[in-house]
Amino acid sequence: MNTSKAKSSEGLDWIAITQKIGTPVASVILAILIGSFIMWVSGYNPVAAFSALYQGSFGSPKAFGDTLLRSTPLILAGLGLAYGFKANLFNIGAEGQLFMGGLAAAALGLALAGQPWYLAIPLLLIAAMLAGAAWAFIPAILKARIGAHEVITTMMFTYIARYVVSWLVVGPLKDPGQIPQTRLLPVESQLPRIQSLFSDATLQAMPFLKFGRAHMGILVALIAAVVLWLVLKYTTLGYENRAVGFNPFAAETGGISVQWTTVKSLCISGALAGLAGAVEVMGVHHRLFDQFSSGFGFTGIAVALLAKNHPLAVIPAALLFGAMSAGAGTMQLVADVPQKIILIVQALVIFFVAAEGIITYFLKQRQKEVPSHVG
Amino acid sequence: MLGDIITPDLFASAFRMATPLALAAIGGTICERSGVVNIALEGIMLVGAFAGVAVTLAFGSPWLGVVAAVLAGVAIAAIHAFTSINLRSDQVVSGTAINILALGLTGFLMEIMYGHPGTTEAIITIKPVFRFATERGSGTFFGVIWNWFNTIVLSHTPIVYGAIIIAVVAQWAMYNTRWGLHLRALGEHPRAVDTVGVSVVRGRWIAVLMSGALAGLAGANLTLEQVGSFTENMTNGRGFIALAANIFGRWTPVGSYSASLLFGFFDALQIKLQIFRGEINIPPQFFLMMPYVLTVVVLAGVVGRAVGPAAVGKPYKKG
Amino acid sequence: MPLLELREITKAFPGVLANDRVSMKLDKGEIVALLGENGAGKSTLMNVVYGLLTADDGEILVDEKHVKIKSPRHAIDLGIGMVHQHFMLVEPLTVTENIVLGREPGRFGVIDFATARQRVREISDRYSLKVDPDAKIIDLSVGMQQRVEILKALYQGARVLILDEPTAVLTPQEVTELFRVVRSLVDEGLSAVFITHKLEEVIAIADRILVMRDGAVVGETTPSATDEIGLARMMVGRDVVLSVEKGVSQCGDVVLSVNDVHIEDDRSLEAVKGVSFAICGGEILAIAGVDGNGQRELVESIVGLRRPTRGTIELKGNDITRANARASIEAGVSHIPEDRQRRGLVLEFNIAENIILGDHREPPAADHGIMHPKAIAELARKRIADYDIRTPSERVLADSLSGGNQQKVVVAREIGRNPELLVAAQPTRGLDVGAIEFVHTQIIRERDSGKAVLLVTFELEEVLSLADRILVIYEGRIVKEFAVADADAETLGYFMTGGGGSKLAEEQESKPVESSVAGGDK
Repeated sequence: MNTSKAKSSEGLDWIAITQKIGTPVASVILAILIGSFIMWVSGYNPVAAFSALYQGSFGSPKAFGDTLLRSTPLILAGLGLAYGFKANLFNIGAEGQLFMGGLAAAALGLALAGQPWYLAIPLLLIAAMLAGAAWAFIPAILKARIGAHEVITTMMFTYIARYVVSWLVVGPLKDPGQIPQTRLLPVESQLPRIQSLFSDATLQAMPFLKFGRAHMGILVALIAAVVLWLVLKYTTLGYENRAVGFNPFAAETGGISVQWTTVKSLCISGALAGLAGAVEVMGVHHRLFDQFSSGFGFTGIAVALLAKNHPLAVIPAALLFGAMSAGAGTMQLVADVPQKIILIVQALVIFFVAAEGIITYFLKQRQKEVPSHVG
Repeated sequence: MLGDIITPDLFASAFRMATPLALAAIGGTICERSGVVNIALEGIMLVGAFAGVAVTLAFGSPWLGVVAAVLAGVAIAAIHAFTSINLRSDQVVSGTAINILALGLTGFLMEIMYGHPGTTEAIITIKPVFRFATERGSGTFFGVIWNWFNTIVLSHTPIVYGAIIIAVVAQWAMYNTRWGLHLRALGEHPRAVDTVGVSVVRGRWIAVLMSGALAGLAGANLTLEQVGSFTENMTNGRGFIALAANIFGRWTPVGSYSASLLFGFFDALQIKLQIFRGEINIPPQFFLMMPYVLTVVVLAGVVGRAVGPAAVGKPYKKG
Repeated sequence: MPLLELREITKAFPGVLANDRVSMKLDKGEIVALLGENGAGKSTLMNVVYGLLTADDGEILVDEKHVKIKSPRHAIDLGIGMVHQHFMLVEPLTVTENIVLGREPGRFGVIDFATARQRVREISDRYSLKVDPDAKIIDLSVGMQQRVEILKALYQGARVLILDEPTAVLTPQEVTELFRVVRSLVDEGLSAVFITHKLEEVIAIADRILVMRDGAVVGETTPSATDEIGLARMMVGRDVVLSVEKGVSQCGDVVLSVNDVHIEDDRSLEAVKGVSFAICGGEILAIAGVDGNGQRELVESIVGLRRPTRGTIELKGNDITRANARASIEAGVSHIPEDRQRRGLVLEFNIAENIILGDHREPPAADHGIMHPKAIAELARKRIADYDIRTPSERVLADSLSGGNQQKVVVAREIGRNPELLVAAQPTRGLDVGAIEFVHTQIIRERDSGKAVLLVTFELEEVLSLADRILVIYEGRIVKEFAVADADAETLGYFMTGGGGSKLAEEQESKPVESSVAGGDK
């Protein structure tokens, strides 16, 4: 493997960048082609379907707003997964931390009624991050201390979180009405819609700003992506996270505590997932109910894998999945193709991205032993 | 009061609830014992459930549906086997993809076959094996005993009994046959198995396919014996409870069954308690989360360590 | 008539000729010992015979018939069994299950455990290899596990038994027992190939001795025709090709003092059994020993990766016995690990990121958790220039550097930190001559600037050309101390391989075996 003797790890090396994004792009194209084939076999017109999908996701400001709306939690959950993956940790239970984040935001939001927005919103977001981190903490400790696999433990905690939320919305936090949900958050705790920032006159003059339901959570997500990128690139925290992920033995020799890094990594991953839950509650539903997340934590896995765990690449990857989910309705309406095809395409993307990892693995021809737990 | 809750049908219901969990859990046991993690049980079960209903609707025979469910489970498991064993892909990633694929595939097929999402029309379900009168002489002591026995033991459909038989047979086979010995060795030290001339790839493929068949059968039980129709995402996390039952049962078939029975009992109890909400105010969610809480407790080593096969999740490379 | 014959076996790995036209014969009822240093090519040769590797060239004959051994299964079918250094046993399974694995008696796929147990008993009785057929492997001692491995080979019908470094993991009593077992097997008509680097064992067990060095057979002899000194000369007897210019040591204050430390290995067996020494500033102390005699555990405990069970370690008077790796670095200990790809470098990191590993929290790399890429790049470029790392830029991934340049990155980081003590473990393993010279020069420069250096190696030339003082470690104990002027390769090799007192001698003090005491008072 001497062809790439002078591989560079950063800087604007366009060849390297092309190589890096080449396979995810190819995976998406391949998945779309196979998806099209499935549609064609099932008697649908894939061209019509995908153009309707495009219409429904990017075709109008409102459609784009919908894409942003759905991408927002995906960016945050994807960032959480990516940060864990960087330390060789698979936080498959991001969905549970997302639930706890949503719960914390809702509960605190209701409690803080009457507080001004500049106090309420930051406090809610912080509370959600803490709740997500706390929900990841026990799996993290179990992983670091006795090597219990985080895939199993975080998954178990996901279901526990779901039942906790489902109990609270029919019990202690229940709205006096019939529906199992909390009361509406006070308006100070809600993330405003993007178009509400502009006056009616402005919107009349510039209709391309009518982003529909898209809310300021997207700003939170974009900031989080940039911050995480900076953390990974410019802080000792990120450096240690990456070192442990690549080679725990060398990290340990360099004086890095593998156990403590594992705990920090999973908790940060959980905090980001918690944030995803909060923006969904604060920006979309403005209340908590037990189906408030449509599996964003799980789709976040696909997002992180497709982005190859790069925090900035998480943004386009999340936009892609967000667009698919936003446009699926239009696709069904216009081209009559069942929305579920989107899930099939998503699964195919994961298969191909994972299989690509295998190809590079073979090319490297270097088998490295990574301990299942480090003690 | 307590007598209204602790009734024979509570226990009968526990066995019914346990069956899909147990079948998938035993599948998980076999798969993990061979060294392959299978978090795709959820998706495989869902595909099995759908295939069972689709074939039953098409041909009118639920038994044909059972066969279809098993075959569909095997087919989906084959994808997992190929990516995990041959491509040496990350087994958790592959399982995640299969779960998403199953959700999409069943939903998609449902709409193109029946023209609507949600729930299929009802099918003829598989009837209980025995049919004895339930209230035979309920006044006498023996009458009461008979009623309990009849309801708890004799009221079930074939796959419910099948699951018990499978648990026992799998347990026996795991410790008494060549297949079982090779399986137990595969997940611990694949190289040791390889050096005595037993194929690791073949052994693991068989195990993954068996887990697919069992999870498919679990799906068949759910739709063809219990619910009588297919609803999107109807497995609703049962695959993950099955995974938990496998751990709670310490990676043995009978252990998996027993854990599933315990989890099934919690489920039956919470349903029962909902009738008595006025008097007893334990939220049903408390029981529903028990399987997961207990599994974490076991993994944490609070009641003895739960240690899986040493080589589980690690792709094997020859040479 | 030879049972097994190898003709001109050649096997090359990228950059190394592991076996260079090696020929050997093994007769029925014979024990041939393959003696050589680590990396001499013994294990490669036997892996070829066992079907784990395929030779590039050469012929293998079994019963005077040409064979191409493609897999271990094939080797087993030909009657070749191997006891691996790392046992091929499934720990949670029973002895019987392990032995019959792959060849289970029974019908219709059901294992007939009664017959299986019976056969295991038969074999174990025939060769007096007592073992409980129903015990689980995990509950057995290492010696017992090895016995199960031997039984497994016998059950599979082995006529030739290859034992790869079988004594490395055994206690003295177990070694004696193993020798008795191997003898009795040979008396029953089996043949054995015994791979080792321990001289006394060869003399005690072998009928014939093949000495390997650098992939080739350099001599053949018998125990009666030679002694340990003669064997040591054959094994290590090459000229010292590298000579390093170095002045007289200016010994200053004591920097490191190690007092009666006992250390356990990963399996909780005592690997270091009470070692004491001190190093002063301006001195290179070498610990010479064959791999696996406790030096790894000793190094790990000095650099904070492992805690001694007893004893103390002090650096300039400060107790660092219980320091972790971070505290150890901060106290002034630098460490060139023996496996640079596993412990020394993060291969996926670039050079700059690797240069700061361990110092990544401190200025100039970072302060208050924020890293300074410019300062890091500057530092990296300085190190690249100072230590002559051949690379177009500090942003090149460590993975794509040559072995020598990778080691230069490690050396640059560890010496560049300006430590009080430099611990260098196998610092030149696998390097070419130029890189070796570079590393040696750096180590001497470090000494000359008044720092203490602990060199741990099994390369004799390295010991002789670098050290001011030499300790020989054997089986977890310091068995000999030399001033460098008093040492030569043969004497060192003699003590490193147990010449001065050994497991066997320990066990058989009361009944001395003539061969193992030869030259014992040198």
